[in-house]
Amino acid sequence: MDTPSANIIPTEPSGGKDCTTASVAKEIAVETEPTPESRLLPEMLGEELWRTAGAEAVEVSKAEFSQALETIGARDNFGLEPGKQASERQRETFWRALHLEELAIARGCALGRESAWRYFLAQYQDKLTRAAVEMTRSAVLGEELASALYSELFGLTEHEGKRWSPLLGYSGRGSLIGWLRAILAQRRVDQYRKIGRETALNEIEPAAAVSEQIELKRLEDLQVALKMTLSGASAEERFLLWAYYLDQHTLEEISGVLRVHVATVSRKLKRATDRLRKQLLRTLVAQGLSRRAAEEALGSDPRDIEINLRKLLQNSENAPIPDKEEQG
Amino acid sequence: MKANFQPGIHPDADQLSVFVEGVASPHEHQRMLAHLAECAECRKAVFLMQPQEETQAPRPEPVKGWTWRRLLPMALPAAALACAVIALVVYLRPHGGSPEVLQQNASVRQPEIPRPPTTVAPTTNSESFARSESPKKSSAPSAAAPNFARQTKQAANGVQLPEAKNQQIADNIASPPIALAAPSPSAPVAGVAAGVSGGVGSGTVSDLPLNGRNFTKLQQLTPGVTKGGASQNSLALKKELPALEIEGAGARDATLGGVSGRVTDPTGAVVAGATITLRDASGKTRQTTTGTDGSFHLTELPAGRYDLMATATGFKTKEQSIELKASEVAVMAPVLDVGTASETVEVTGAAPTLETESASMSRIMPVPSGLPVAATVSLGKRSLSLDSAGNLFLSRNGGKKWKKINPKWAGKAVHIELKQPSDSGSLPQRGNETPSSVSAIDVFQLTTDTNAVWTSKDGTHWHQQ
Repeated sequence: MDTPSANIIPTEPSGGKDCTTASVAKEIAVETEPTPESRLLPEMLGEELWRTAGAEAVEVSKAEFSQALETIGARDNFGLEPGKQASERQRETFWRALHLEELAIARGCALGRESAWRYFLAQYQDKLTRAAVEMTRSAVLGEELASALYSELFGLTEHEGKRWSPLLGYSGRGSLIGWLRAILAQRRVDQYRKIGRETALNEIEPAAAVSEQIELKRLEDLQVALKMTLSGASAEERFLLWAYYLDQHTLEEISGVLRVHVATVSRKLKRATDRLRKQLLRTLVAQGLSRRAAEEALGSDPRDIEINLRKLLQNSENAPIPDKEEQG
Repeated sequence: MKANFQPGIHPDADQLSVFVEGVASPHEHQRMLAHLAECAECRKAVFLMQPQEETQAPRPEPVKGWTWRRLLPMALPAAALACAVIALVVYLRPHGGSPEVLQQNASVRQPEIPRPPTTVAPTTNSESFARSESPKKSSAPSAAAPNFARQTKQAANGVQLPEAKNQQIADNIASPPIALAAPSPSAPVAGVAAGVSGGVGSGTVSDLPLNGRNFTKLQQLTPGVTKGGASQNSLALKKELPALEIEGAGARDATLGGVSGRVTDPTGAVVAGATITLRDASGKTRQTTTGTDGSFHLTELPAGRYDLMATATGFKTKEQSIELKASEVAVMAPVLDVGTASETVEVTGAAPTLETESASMSRIMPVPSGLPVAATVSLGKRSLSLDSAGNLFLSRNGGKKWKKINPKWAGKAVHIELKQPSDSGSLPQRGNETPSSVSAIDVFQLTTDTNAVWTSKDGTHWHQQ
């Protein structure tokens, strides 16, 4: 599978809208899927799912759809942990839970089927453009981002020497619009990174200037203590700390990503912060600082600890992506 | 593909969308979180993926909505309950005779009328309440009760009703059944109107615009009607008619009746301290003495024929026979002649010559001792009853409930009366059948068998004189 860093922004951003689907369809080289798993999908179930998906309307044959289902199941191990063998019932449950209609459209588009593209354009073109405008907070940048993605989806980019559409990577486990938003976001982050290489580093305050209260040596010690503490924290705690202190997202935004109530996010974040602060204090005291001096170094005011934590995290290797708008 | 979660390698769009949409399996979720904690780019991507409306969703507005949704199911029954209570109070108050409270209730109901959810509930509640109450009463009030509830609502709404509706309301107010000699179907209205003109002033009921305020006035008039009517009638009957009136004994008293009246001498002066003895056909007697205003009251009497004997020192003993019907109160005005003679007057309950008057009465319950009541005196809504064993009972609600008074006095109470130090002579008759305004000088007075005299203003706290 591709990675965001490997994606290539098309040289003709507007080509995605203008190109005809018929010409694209003939040239797209579809990935050949491994066949040994084909026997995992019973023929009866495969036909039922194919009919449920309405795949015939988007010119996706029964064999093509079954092959897509087999590939997806094998790729994600039917939602089970790696190494576990899925039972027949688990496999059926996994397949039935997929967004079958949207999967059929995505497969039809990836295969260059004209009727699939008509469906896609009718149902998702406006949504995709709106999402791009929302992410870039600019109509011009949004249109440009959406057009670039269209050309990519049409298969105008090459992958290992063959024309390839990212729609092949859509599994149907989530919604198609969610997948489109994800790939838009990835492309947007690609743009940030390009800009960030030139400008973002200047925007980040150097850690040495962060706190006058913390000496340079103490700061280094704190960095070590921070790493140790973070390594012992759960993935969720680390995500919370980074997202809140470093990326400076709001609790509401974090609750939206984690799909939990904002109060839960607040509680978990407070717990993680308290634990981190205690660990840092313990480290400072172990290094010979008195308890009071250590507390003063971290900041007795709760707001101080937030600022200091943010700056400590900023000074770490996990630097945030600057949220700067590109004009033009 | 799982290798994408290795440090430095990013998850693809499908994995990100599966995570963001919450359909990832637990281990996928954890691995994605671990990657996001380390990868600022993917963190940026997942936050960019959030639709703006979704990120705003958990903000305080839904919390408010949640609160209202929680309270709404509680608010509706509470509103219905409040309406039911208001309907109950509005319905009961006309019978209890507290005009001020009724006016408040009318004004409270008014704003609730226009609201669609509550307009149905009060009507239903009040009517259903009236229906539930109706079995306790005779047929006339039961038919009038829902009508009364509706009229009350209209009156509270400030609607000017035609005169016919005023009469209906007056009919509903004077709801007890008319026992005798109704000259026309509108006799109760006429009785009320006469009471208004005689007892209060020159206005008539139909002259009053029937809004909430005047409806209250009408209620205020009702006790006066009874009082004034009784007073005038007794004076009139003294000259022309046999000294007996029979009142309706109250809407809820279906079986028991009573006898009350005032004893006077030939000059019209009241005779205080006269002994009134009532003997039924089986020979059982009930006895009481007249108060300082000459009045006497005997209640809780079964229907039947009675002989009433009035004796007083210096006067001839006077005997009268009465045919007491169920749920009626005979009002008698024996005139004692000076001397020692005795006379017997026989009157049947259906005598057409008697004037009828309606009274708004509450049911008088027997005293808890179960013994015959020797005497009952009333001061406003407070009534004192003395049973044949000398036990004293107090009622604060016109005789509905009785509470025994623990005696502070030695011996047995033999007589109770209302003491009126200033004997103006114009004071109204008092008694549990005729609620009247309370004078500040009225006190209960009790006499024991040792001739000790105790007084009390409230019937509870007694002081020896």
